[in-house]
Amino acid sequence: MKKRTVAVMMAAVMAAGSLVGCGASDTAAVTETQENTADEEQEDTVEDATVGANVEAVENAEELTAMDESQLNGTTITFWHAMGGVNGEALDYLVNKFNEENEYGITVDAQYQGSYDDEINKLKSAQLGNMGADLVQVYDIGTRFMIDSGWIVPMQDLVDADGFDLSVIEPNIAAYYTVGDTLYSMPFNSSTPILYYNKDMFEDAGIESAPTSFTEIAEAGDKLKAAGYDETISLAIYGWFFEQFTCKQGLEYVNNGNGRSSYATAVAFDENGAALNILTAWKDLYDGGYAPNVGRGGDAGLADFSAGQSAMTLGSTASLKQILQDVNGKFEVGTAYFPTVVDGSEGGVSIGGGSLWALDNGDDIKKAATWKFVKFLVSAESQAYWNAQTGYFPVTTEAHNEQVFKDNVAQYPQFQTAIDQLHDSAPQYAGALLSVFPEARATVETEIENMLNGAQSPEDTVAKLAEQINEAITDYNELNYE
Amino acid sequence: MKKLSPYFFLIPSLLIFSVFLFYPFFKTIYLSLYKTDQMGLPKKFVGMENYRKLLTSTSFYNSLLVTLIFVLIVVIGSMSLGLIGAVLCNKAFPGIRVFSTAYALPMAIASSSAAMIFKIMLHPSVGIVNKLLGLSINWISDPRYALICVAVLTAWLNSGINFLYFSAGLSNIDETIYERASVDGANEWQKFYRLTLPGLSPILFYTLVVNIIQAFQSFGQVKILTQGGPGESTNLIVYSIYRDAFFNFKFGNAAAQSIILFLIIMCLTLVMFKIEKKGVKY
Repeated sequence: MKKRTVAVMMAAVMAAGSLVGCGASDTAAVTETQENTADEEQEDTVEDATVGANVEAVENAEELTAMDESQLNGTTITFWHAMGGVNGEALDYLVNKFNEENEYGITVDAQYQGSYDDEINKLKSAQLGNMGADLVQVYDIGTRFMIDSGWIVPMQDLVDADGFDLSVIEPNIAAYYTVGDTLYSMPFNSSTPILYYNKDMFEDAGIESAPTSFTEIAEAGDKLKAAGYDETISLAIYGWFFEQFTCKQGLEYVNNGNGRSSYATAVAFDENGAALNILTAWKDLYDGGYAPNVGRGGDAGLADFSAGQSAMTLGSTASLKQILQDVNGKFEVGTAYFPTVVDGSEGGVSIGGGSLWALDNGDDIKKAATWKFVKFLVSAESQAYWNAQTGYFPVTTEAHNEQVFKDNVAQYPQFQTAIDQLHDSAPQYAGALLSVFPEARATVETEIENMLNGAQSPEDTVAKLAEQINEAITDYNELNYE
Repeated sequence: MKKLSPYFFLIPSLLIFSVFLFYPFFKTIYLSLYKTDQMGLPKKFVGMENYRKLLTSTSFYNSLLVTLIFVLIVVIGSMSLGLIGAVLCNKAFPGIRVFSTAYALPMAIASSSAAMIFKIMLHPSVGIVNKLLGLSINWISDPRYALICVAVLTAWLNSGINFLYFSAGLSNIDETIYERASVDGANEWQKFYRLTLPGLSPILFYTLVVNIIQAFQSFGQVKILTQGGPGESTNLIVYSIYRDAFFNFKFGNAAAQSIILFLIIMCLTLVMFKIEKKGVKY
């Protein structure tokens, strides 16, 4: 009998142990209840974004000019970022440079927090205990969340206080982070998607110009097949591409002006036909044997291309360096504009990547120090270095005059495509803002996979996408705005 | 006082348990009755709504089914791999240490790094698996193979510790009974089936329980290799909990799934302790 009791207890403990992994973290996120303050601030930011920002800006301007810059001496600010590998090294170089060279005596403590997702999750937990950072790098799709969070000082305030001239920032990049005339965060590492193609294969197959649409990709594919190249394009299943295909059609992803005039309440891609166009074209390419399923995520298509298996791939401009390194001169890499899914549709590309958010810690000195650092990061010199090291866009047009930048473009002429493409786009194609973007993106990827694996038609896929994402949006809005 | 003193000795462990086990456990139950806002704070009491939604969603049943298949493959695979390795290494011969180390090695490999390596090996066009087999199978993007790949990887990873347990178990079996069996004319198979297995039964039982729980909790491999895809074909319940909690920030939903997972594992473990009475000889 005794043994039996022991056994039952052991079973319970073992089983309960299985829960702890999740349970412990749950509690970490919920320990302190400061929801009230957060909520109030949040409503403010959503409704009075523009008015509030302007008033605040004037106040801040006075505070900051009144403050003597010598007060900055000895200030340490914490900077959270999500740049690992080569990009992380380049960022560390910039941070060290600032720490050594800045005349104010500011020290920046840069902390790598893992992937963008990890970082934003840590931020959520840290902010509940008010022990977060002064400056954080957040990915594009976290923009709506950050605006709603009530933790931030709009970058516009700092810009206005300093009288910084925003016109040097690439307008099509700034547009993404601007809501109702307020620039919420400072673009830092921005990229756009482009088409990479194997010039040697194209020459062999007698193709003269890079395809601009899915139909042209299929046409090129026929010629490539005739020349003995089987895999036309390694097209990764990536939610970002889906969003970009929507922008390229000049259509909206969600309602309420793409989530910019007010928070989105439902997707728009089902009613305006954007999703159906994309999915039909995608499935046609797949069924025609031009675009096999190479897997999920932004990098999934790159290996095939670099190995000389596929003639084309879609990827971020930030992958250019990696691709050239992997190809290592085996063939000539060409770049072209991101293709459209519908022939001749008028639209542009949006940007991806990350931007810098100043957090409101109620400390004006830190705020001022943060701004000095941000200004340093987006200076022409820093951006030219950043661009040359990573392949992200220089966010300031002035970087184009830097020698480092000129040398880089001379060495990698492929990069010019990315710049031209961005300049050919327009601010109205800046892309959507959506609170539940990470979830929406994952849903898009799952359902495209289901479609390609033959489980459902493009029409059904659109319906499923709309249903699931709308449910997530409704849930979120109900819990966070109402 | 004499009667009370044993309880004092229990206090330290109870304290640790209550901070790291009981508190999170009850908090999880509490959270499962709420919907949470974007910060993960409980915002709206919904009662059993989270459970009702789960139990009517096809996606959740899919997760359960996938997890079940996964656990079966992993437990059978990892236990037989460990057992075969241990029996082979039970004989003394030159180079035995090299083999023992090789079989125990998976224990020392982090699941995420193993998954990274498998991801490269299983790559459809540049991976070594397709090159060696002369196939062009899209291992982790094809719903027919993805789950098997993740399960086989996990089975291999878990086999290391099983090998260690079984080796220890085997060395505890008295050598002389084999000699006596040989005198009675038993062949190798009979010796294995009649002597080795019963001799190993306590440790077999323990590894079975641990392996099942471990298999239910596999996470790193899925996150790196397939992210639950393609479609939802590798969306194991633990991964689905992670997605809901730390990606979609729906802690309520995630907590409800955790509770259901807890109930499943508890029932399984209880059933196994019942079976123990019959099959295990101490």
